[in-house]
Amino acid sequence: MSAIGCGQAETLAALRERRSGIGPVKYLETSLRDFPVGEVKLSNAELAARTGAPDTWPRTTLLSILALQEALLQASLFPDGKAFSSAKKKADASLCPEGKAFSSAKKKADATENAFPSGKVESLQESLILVSGTTVGGMDLSERLYPAYSPWHSCGDSTDLAARFLGFSEATTLSTACSSAANAFIYAANLIRCGLAERVVAGGAESLSDYHLNGFNSLMILDREWCRPFDATRAGLNLGEGAAFLVLETEESALERGAKPLAVLSGWGNACDAFHQTASSENGEGAFLAMSKALKVAGLEPSQIDYVNAHGTGTPNNDASESMALRRIFGDCIPPVSSTKPYTGHTTSASGSIEAVFCLLALQHGFLPPQLNWKEADPACITPFCHSERSEESCEESFRHILSNAFGFGGNDTSFILSRV
Amino acid sequence: MSLRPVYIRAIASLGAEDPDFRQLFSPLEARRMGRLLKRAVWTSRKALESAGLAMPDAIVTGTDFGSMIQSEAFLGALKQGGDATPRPTNFMQSTHNTIGSLIAIQLGCHGYNATYSHKGNSFRSALQDAWMQISLGDIDTALVGWFDEAFAPVGSTDKAVSVVLTASPEGAMGRYEDLLGTLLES
Repeated sequence: MSAIGCGQAETLAALRERRSGIGPVKYLETSLRDFPVGEVKLSNAELAARTGAPDTWPRTTLLSILALQEALLQASLFPDGKAFSSAKKKADASLCPEGKAFSSAKKKADATENAFPSGKVESLQESLILVSGTTVGGMDLSERLYPAYSPWHSCGDSTDLAARFLGFSEATTLSTACSSAANAFIYAANLIRCGLAERVVAGGAESLSDYHLNGFNSLMILDREWCRPFDATRAGLNLGEGAAFLVLETEESALERGAKPLAVLSGWGNACDAFHQTASSENGEGAFLAMSKALKVAGLEPSQIDYVNAHGTGTPNNDASESMALRRIFGDCIPPVSSTKPYTGHTTSASGSIEAVFCLLALQHGFLPPQLNWKEADPACITPFCHSERSEESCEESFRHILSNAFGFGGNDTSFILSRV
Repeated sequence: MSLRPVYIRAIASLGAEDPDFRQLFSPLEARRMGRLLKRAVWTSRKALESAGLAMPDAIVTGTDFGSMIQSEAFLGALKQGGDATPRPTNFMQSTHNTIGSLIAIQLGCHGYNATYSHKGNSFRSALQDAWMQISLGDIDTALVGWFDEAFAPVGSTDKAVSVVLTASPEGAMGRYEDLLGTLLES
């Protein structure tokens, strides 16, 4: 789920046709209307109708549910579509609507919290853990209810609603700003490595909010034009929103139940820049360490990486710092690198998992997502991969390993590697 | 895969009362950091000190709500309009991972760094993350914390607990699984 599409088919088409989803604000209630954004092109009512969930739930939750439904169906972990309607009825009965007095809403939220997981909606076939990443949570509701707080304001509450609605047995939430979803993959992978789960659903979700649009504006890192990662004239980022989730499982478990693996999560690395709360270091130390660790876990040399999906937000600071880190890793042989932020905007906490889906589509369909809107080279930055249909076809089948970066405020830097099965 | 045992070497915590922050922070630092951050850095330093550990391999943080006071200040300025300008400092400090990353900046720690925010399960998830990585042999030591502040509208209370987890039994207070229950009730 992102500005370029609901579901993999729409997403793939947009990437192949080089279609951006960034445009003027349409759905978000905000006074900052002159900044372009990457909105999912559905209102909350439309999202609710598609999911079967109440439209009074946080947008982050609604986006999560839609993405989770697609992932679970593709992984054959959901019996059929009928479960959704019965899930909706139970959810309506146990969770209160928006608009009631805060205290009674809070009381009910507490009551349902205690009932979880025993009061879960029985729609999944087995016990399954959800690891999500978000920062905004239910802030969109708190904005509307101000001065009261939405009972689903917190990160955990917005995840739990989705988890309970779909019948997950357990859930937790990573909140490391823009690397949240990428860190969810690491936690999920470790649950599997420790033998605590055979399969885990991991990813992230973030809806646009007036709160963080203003927050990024107060930090003066928003561009009033279409963002231009790695371009000499880049002036900031465009915010986006969305959700994406991957089903991770052991090879044995996939083979046993006849599931077809899409790719291997072959490496991951998390490091802290430990430099500044909102700025990246000049030498890109955190990014360098995250990529180095991911390569080490995967047992790969830098020369074996065929494509890098960069964090590439479009801010002067991030792109220069990330470029420095890429140069430190790859030397003179930098593989094709592109930032897909000009398609979706910066989907913050969800960016790690949304871009993981782009990488999976690239591996499956044998193309590299070309970067949009890059014109002028900056000596401080790498030159992104922007072209062309022909060269994309020539690399079909030939690339095996993709590295993706997701970096967050506070220098919470994470990289992961997806490899062809 | 065989998992290594994990030990708890030190625990430091604060009640509702604040310590004398002047022992640790310059007046300038103290002004810049909110109370939540000062308490978090305080217990982190105390736990590392009593563990005799200069630099952990990982910093893992749990916070049920992040800084609600900073959120409230930013949201309030946004909603009231007029002269109240939303301040970048409030926004920055309302991001949940600001606590864990500030601890890393203070220590100069480039290791693994993650923050969990899942209501009452935040600290449990943070501990589990560190436990898994030590068990798997990915890291040898971790500084795990639980930090929250009292904010009536969401029912949160003051919380500042730091724990040092190690692969080595040396100087340990006990095994992780034996102390986990007490820790989660702290």
